[in-house]
Amino acid sequence: MLLIGQALISGILLGGLYAILAIGLSLTWGMLKIINLAHFALTFLAAYFTYQISTSFGLDPFFTIIVTAPVFFGIGVLLQWFFETFDVSEFNSLLITFGLFIIIQSVMTGIWTADYRRIDFDINPYAQQSFWIGEFALPIPQFSAFMAALILAGLTIYVLNRTYAGKALRAISQDRDMAAAFGVNYRKMAMLLSGVSTAYAAVAGVFIAMIFALFPEAGVEWIGVIFAVVILGGLANVPGALGAGLLIGIVQAVTSAVSSPGMAPLVTFTLLILALLFKPEGLFTRRMSL
Amino acid sequence: MKKWSAPLWFLAVGILLGLVPWLRTVLGFPIFYLIFLYFIFFWVAQAISWNILTGYSGYFSFGTGAFFGVGVYTMATLIDKYDFNFLSALPIGGILAMLLGLGIGFVVFRLRQLKGELFALLTLAVDFVLAAVVRNTDSIDGGFGVRLGSVQPPAFLGSFSTMMYILSLVIALITVFIAYSIYYSRFGLGLFAIRDDEEVAEGLGVPTFRYKMTVFSISCFLIGVSGALHALQIGYITVEGTFALRVPLFVILMSVLGGRQHWFGPVIGAVVIYTLTDTFSQASIEYLNQIIIGSLLIVMILFLREGIFERLRRRFWPSFGLLLIVLAAQLAFGIGGRLISQTAYAMLITIAFLLISDNGYARLTRSIQFLQAKKQVGVSDV
Repeated sequence: MLLIGQALISGILLGGLYAILAIGLSLTWGMLKIINLAHFALTFLAAYFTYQISTSFGLDPFFTIIVTAPVFFGIGVLLQWFFETFDVSEFNSLLITFGLFIIIQSVMTGIWTADYRRIDFDINPYAQQSFWIGEFALPIPQFSAFMAALILAGLTIYVLNRTYAGKALRAISQDRDMAAAFGVNYRKMAMLLSGVSTAYAAVAGVFIAMIFALFPEAGVEWIGVIFAVVILGGLANVPGALGAGLLIGIVQAVTSAVSSPGMAPLVTFTLLILALLFKPEGLFTRRMSL
Repeated sequence: MKKWSAPLWFLAVGILLGLVPWLRTVLGFPIFYLIFLYFIFFWVAQAISWNILTGYSGYFSFGTGAFFGVGVYTMATLIDKYDFNFLSALPIGGILAMLLGLGIGFVVFRLRQLKGELFALLTLAVDFVLAAVVRNTDSIDGGFGVRLGSVQPPAFLGSFSTMMYILSLVIALITVFIAYSIYYSRFGLGLFAIRDDEEVAEGLGVPTFRYKMTVFSISCFLIGVSGALHALQIGYITVEGTFALRVPLFVILMSVLGGRQHWFGPVIGAVVIYTLTDTFSQASIEYLNQIIIGSLLIVMILFLREGIFERLRRRFWPSFGLLLIVLAAQLAFGIGGRLISQTAYAMLITIAFLLISDNGYARLTRSIQFLQAKKQVGVSDV
């Protein structure tokens, strides 16, 4: 019972991390029609930045967010500028970002080599500390990642539903030309969204650097899971991405605890395939709602 | 415009290429060239069989690695654990990959909405799932890799590298011939109709589900057979090496570079890309190689979406001449290193020439003609 309970908790916390990545991906896919495989490489690039900054300057890894998030916001803006300039279609964006993914991964291998890298525990004491609720442990980095996911999701939902910029973005995702006719500046809004999405990737990267040992090819392992979350959650559906992230996190953790860690991807993707068969618009999207 | 003589042409090419191992010993080239050609044939088979599905029917697959992996691990398991003869294990690898493809197709092709990006991502997921399963199944791999002992080639196939060369040549030729036959058949027309607009195709009486299942199983079978043979070449088989994104990346890049719309496109792509990567991985470190490959993919998608084959056909003699001139210049001055690297540099320059848009090319030829005319008339008269 303790085992299952602990698995549930770590699943929920891990699910938060999945959600941070999935929200950004889901928004750019659903609203800008860009399927960004490079998102994963950028996440790990941010993780390596965190590792490097905190190791070189002895900085608390939490504070590196102040540096990485704006830098990656800029990268996201540049990326969207590139897609706009070359007028890349939805499918070609998948191929181009695949190429970009490989390039970033190779650059990381070139700089940081293929060895495992981990922030020293002196600088990153959080990795060994936990909150305790009764007998259940909540490791601090995972817990803060989960909290960050809740905050970012809440913020995104608020912006999308309550502000002028959010209204403009939703208008763009429904009909780009019509939105333009009503004076929405597509270029500007798209760059903003892409920047925010990449900044989210950077935030996720900071937590990943605190939780896991880094190696350049780690991004590959996340592609499958995060796309499962995005598709289960429904495109451009922020609460859906959060819910699906938690769901997948729980399913993975419980499967790992009950049978073996190797079974986790199998169960995840069976879930994904079943969802695609019976509810392809996403578990958390109402039918006929657009 | 399928030609009745086509099988004869394929046979002739096969016999000519089949003479290469013999020629090599006569002319005294190092055995390295045979292995190089083995890899070319391997990638031709992989790229073409991928293109039969994706280029013809428009269903973009990222999951080549999965079917390739089934082939590789079938061979590894059958030889290592059950003492199979490797020649009989080859078709079994293909059949198992085909069964996997049929299973996926049966589920996926029934759903209208699983097209385009979703199909691509789903096939990618299949690759990851399979990797996880193999890594955790002790009777297949269990995470430690499989080391294959050396196999004994049958007497009529000569040494190991000669045998690998001949077998991969046969597989590549069969694959290309199948691609050719489908391209000019009624079946192929049906597939192109599916690619252009599936609903309209269905409305006009194309049995879309049956066609998609057929083409998917053919593609998977060929990938599986070629993968099974490749297991012997790798020798030490790991999950990371087999299910990595390397195979899908290369296959996609080769087909995109060569051109997906024509049956012959991926052959050119495979030859060019493998020659380039071989050169760069000799010259530098592996990650630089990957950077070049990734950039090439982006450049091709942005500037030459239809692939170089179509442009090559329109300006065959200028580009072929350029290739030969650059190659001859390198040979004459003794620069560029080995013959393969020299070919690679010549190919790069030719690709750069092919990247010139049709408008730019027309302007170029016009100005050359103009200069020639000026020279004939004499400058003072103009």
